[in-house]
Amino acid sequence: MADNYMENGFESTATYVASEQLLSAVNIAMALKKPLLVKGEPGTGKTMLAQAVADSLGKKLIIWNIKSTTKAQDGLYMYDTIQRLYDGQFGEEGVDDIARYIKLGKLGEAFESEEQVILLIDEIDKADLEFPNDLLWELDQMEFYIHETKRTVKAKQRPIVIITSNAEKELPDAFLRRCIFHYIEFPNEELMAEIVRSHYPNVEDNLLKNAMDVFYWIRSLREIRKKPSTSELIDWINALQIAGIPADQIREKLPFVGVVVKKDEDLETIQHAPR
Amino acid sequence: MARNDGSVFLNFFYELRRKELHIGLTEWMTLLEALDQGLAGSQLTDFYYLARMILVKSETDFDKFDTAFEECFKGAQKDTEVTQQMLKWLDKKELQDELAKTDRDTEWANRHSADEMKIDKDDVETKFKQRLKDQTEEHNGGSFWIGTAGATPFGNSGNYVGGVRVGGASGYQSAFEVVGARKFRDFRDDRVLENRQFQMALRRLRQFSTKLDIPKTELDIDETIHKTCNRGGLLQIEMMRPRKNAVKLLLLMDSGGTMIPYSSLVNELFQTVSKSNHFKDVKCYYFHNCIYSKVYKTPECENGDWVDTDWMFRNLSSDYKVIIVGDAAMAPEELYSTTGNYRGPNGGLSGWEWLNLLKSHYKKIIWMNPKMAPRRAPWREAETAIGQLLPMYKLTVSGLNQGMKKLMETR
Repeated sequence: MADNYMENGFESTATYVASEQLLSAVNIAMALKKPLLVKGEPGTGKTMLAQAVADSLGKKLIIWNIKSTTKAQDGLYMYDTIQRLYDGQFGEEGVDDIARYIKLGKLGEAFESEEQVILLIDEIDKADLEFPNDLLWELDQMEFYIHETKRTVKAKQRPIVIITSNAEKELPDAFLRRCIFHYIEFPNEELMAEIVRSHYPNVEDNLLKNAMDVFYWIRSLREIRKKPSTSELIDWINALQIAGIPADQIREKLPFVGVVVKKDEDLETIQHAPR
Repeated sequence: MARNDGSVFLNFFYELRRKELHIGLTEWMTLLEALDQGLAGSQLTDFYYLARMILVKSETDFDKFDTAFEECFKGAQKDTEVTQQMLKWLDKKELQDELAKTDRDTEWANRHSADEMKIDKDDVETKFKQRLKDQTEEHNGGSFWIGTAGATPFGNSGNYVGGVRVGGASGYQSAFEVVGARKFRDFRDDRVLENRQFQMALRRLRQFSTKLDIPKTELDIDETIHKTCNRGGLLQIEMMRPRKNAVKLLLLMDSGGTMIPYSSLVNELFQTVSKSNHFKDVKCYYFHNCIYSKVYKTPECENGDWVDTDWMFRNLSSDYKVIIVGDAAMAPEELYSTTGNYRGPNGGLSGWEWLNLLKSHYKKIIWMNPKMAPRRAPWREAETAIGQLLPMYKLTVSGLNQGMKKLMETR
């Protein structure tokens, strides 16, 4: 990629190893000032990406976790009428100042920040279908309007927006058109070794190789219902290290394989599969 | 730079649209803007990734993008004007190398695909071994055509010839290799389903449920508090529609002999449906080839272990959404004969009439077919007829999604 924008751009951090394409996706999204939509298998580090970007750029991270009941309005602001009524009954001062009872949501917080922040909208597809569309204007223009106080909140520094999705529901086209899209592929063995080493720098070569062989072998089995992911491999290697299992026993005895494979049927499958 | 050469890429734009990638002007302008900013660097590979991340919004479409990219930028060599502009814009040497290599590989692939036409069943094994040998040799040369070999008769036999494994090992140096490897073939949404994808597809039946016209029967606590406080404590009740899913599902599954090859697929669907707890109700019955006067409670379809189809009509109201899973593979007489079928009673009506009764009773019915004939197949008369009576989809990710959409349509 051209060097001019890679300077001051996002790079892999000590604990997060990103592929070349992911790095350029993040940097391009930043250059074009568009939200970056990240999809990928569970456990490929979608959520961790935002933390890594924040660390790498030395910026603050604001996380907006989306649940099935989350509404777009929640991210903008909330008008605390209860507190106002309460204050009114006890004759507190300033009840007539509605602005005192406006609480900004995560998006509002990101807009109001004096410095540029990273805004992670995590698992956007969990919400109702209309949710992403309700945010179109806000993410495009980086501003919203508070009706109660007739005030416009405008981003002081345009936040870097990273959105993750598990593809549980289709996202509306109008929303997708505005995003830069990146699909995190499952890491190949080379990258995976690097990822594991970023977590356990002192991992023994032989142990890592044997564990990874078994791991990729399990993933390659057709009958496996739930393929193990990166985070499971990392946990497994940790377990193997703590227990001090000799590397040459991993393949034969499959110690602690329950860390990698969670379903009964899958355990059954790998016990009987030819190795 | 891009502003001057923008027209060169218009062809690419239309090729993508021909491949049914719904790219709008917004994305296209974004791409041009990115080129203006020099984000593509000077290499075709970088341009490939840049274009893909801006234009394509789902990994299921990566494969379409790859084929379009390949066609467009391979064709560039024939059009001298385009080539010259392209070369000005791109790194000259690299592109020419690519094109030269592409030529060689095309020849190689053509030769081989001609071979494949002649293959008969007994020959496959020998050919397979031969191919394996060829592949090893060709792989050392870094050819990308190996990837497309996955579409040959033995394409599914293993990772050796599958585009994923071979391509993945070569450590992508050029855009064409990435494209050629067709790594994302597995993500195409017309691929046959797996369990998790079943779940995802079935969740569609919930996606539209908030649009169902149900009365506001639940107290909207948040809004009530908000409104009440705003009125200085004077109670104002606000109601809302319940967020519960109102979908009721009736699953009718063919367990006839011709369905045996698909038994694990159908079983997965059944598991997924019975496990998904977001439906208001799920009922499941079995039939053999076609629906007659009895539907069976178990997949074995044993005599006596059944309920009357009439009983089903009476007890499962017309707002059940019906998914019929079957291959619709039967002789025309089996569908149209009124004198009975070899398996069980038919109540004096032909299967065709029973299907019509089913259609008139239930408002929403789809037929999911695991081995649907591509387009029209005159030799499969029964399937064609049923396909005209009931909306029929192939049992794949996109087919099931289309089917779910059909089930949720308001009219």
